[in-house]
Amino acid sequence: MAEVLIADDSEFMRSLLREILEEHHEIVAEVENGVEAVEVYKERQPDLVMMDIVMPIRDGIEATDQIKSTDPGSRVIMCTSVGQEEKMKEAVRAGADGYITKPFQKPSVIEAIDDVVPA
Amino acid sequence: MYVDARLLGTFTELAHDGAEAATRSLTQLTGVEASVDVTKVSLVERDAVGSSLERGSFVGVQFGLEGGLSGRAVLAFEREGSEALVAGLLGGAADESMAQSGLSELGNIMMSGFIDGWADYLGTSIAHSPPTYVEAQGSDLFDAGPASADDQAFVFHSGLQCAAQEVTVAIYVLPDADSMAELLSTRSAESIAVEKLAAFNRMTREGAQTAAENVTLLSGVETEAEVARLSFMPIENVPEAFDDTTYIGTAVEFTGTPSGFLLVLFDERAAAAVAEALVPTAAGEGSLTADHNGAIEEIGNVITSGFVDGWANVLQRSVDHTPPRLVHDMGRALVDPLVAQLGQHQRHAFVVDSRMHTAEFAFEIGVHAFPDERELRAALSELDVDRADQTEADPTAFF
Repeated sequence: MAEVLIADDSEFMRSLLREILEEHHEIVAEVENGVEAVEVYKERQPDLVMMDIVMPIRDGIEATDQIKSTDPGSRVIMCTSVGQEEKMKEAVRAGADGYITKPFQKPSVIEAIDDVVPA
Repeated sequence: MYVDARLLGTFTELAHDGAEAATRSLTQLTGVEASVDVTKVSLVERDAVGSSLERGSFVGVQFGLEGGLSGRAVLAFEREGSEALVAGLLGGAADESMAQSGLSELGNIMMSGFIDGWADYLGTSIAHSPPTYVEAQGSDLFDAGPASADDQAFVFHSGLQCAAQEVTVAIYVLPDADSMAELLSTRSAESIAVEKLAAFNRMTREGAQTAAENVTLLSGVETEAEVARLSFMPIENVPEAFDDTTYIGTAVEFTGTPSGFLLVLFDERAAAAVAEALVPTAAGEGSLTADHNGAIEEIGNVITSGFVDGWANVLQRSVDHTPPRLVHDMGRALVDPLVAQLGQHQRHAFVVDSRMHTAEFAFEIGVHAFPDERELRAALSELDVDRADQTEADPTAFF
């Protein structure tokens, strides 16, 4: 069971992810922007961050970059409606470990997590 | 064929002046006060030319045009409202034959008023054929001619609104491709190849298709993309292209090339149906809960990405957008502030419109983008038409 931090400004999307994840994983916190994501990551050191890209205050790519800078061993899956090739490249440069586009199906989320978080 | 944006603006203004002349004729002949609501030129697939006619019953007057401007034209009158015009025209009750004849003549005079300014501007004459009276449902009123695959056409559209009576009148002019090419033969630094505009339209249609699939996936409500069009109009006309229906949806600002604004609008019935499909608690019209609003925001986010991502992927650049902001107001009130911002540095606007509809419920979802005109031209000049179908990116190529 992995400890997961969900970072998404949409309460609706956080609740969808929570429903999918809580059967097999522990949700340690939910945050609404990139600044909170970095702060909560530092406090809780979860096994995985499910990170939206388009968020207020600080976007998910910047937040991923900061998390990866402070903890290169962190694991971040971008979980976003953005399906742009250039954004995917930016996410790679920021150190993201996976990328899921919304709207997603439960199996694709589980599969992405299994790929990134060791059993 | 190339399109010069300034020239397109000139022709849109000519069409607007023509519509005003036609409106004066209408008022003079029927006593019904009217005004021009909106004038725009759109690039649209030929078989969707008349799609902006609302569903409903229409009577119309068709014409062929020859000379300086050749093509087809139609004046469309909502059937119910047309009775008020006929009554004003004929001074009371009239039999069916007289009513048709009167409306045909009204159309005849209005069309003459519409094309006179064009002829003067072009320094030539434009003849129109005798009027043909037609009755049809919705877009069937417009015979756009035989459509071939990926055949896109420019269509000028003016909407007229009658003050006291609820009568909607529309004028459509569909120039022949050769005639349009001749009209737009002047090239400048602001010219855009029509094939690039057409490719952009195809990308928009692709975006609408993706968005419709995403709405289906998220909500379970089977949704289909209906039409996509790229319109060009004076900036002050943009709000007039929207009605006073109250919408719920999302607004985002996108940045990059192009930058601009994008609205995803559900009418209140659509918003309630989609929100209830996403969040299974009852919502009445106009009384969505916070959870429902959150669901609408997210679906707006996903639809926005469906459009913007396609542009970004084909143009091989990134286009960022702000988080979606929930909006709830009349169409024109929603568009006004966006247009005010764009209008600070442009006289004309490109407007990208797309509609989705569901088979299950009788409602539509509209997506409306307002890109910065100069930046859209810059983006289109760089557009590789051969890449226009590469709207999707695959994360597995990078992760």
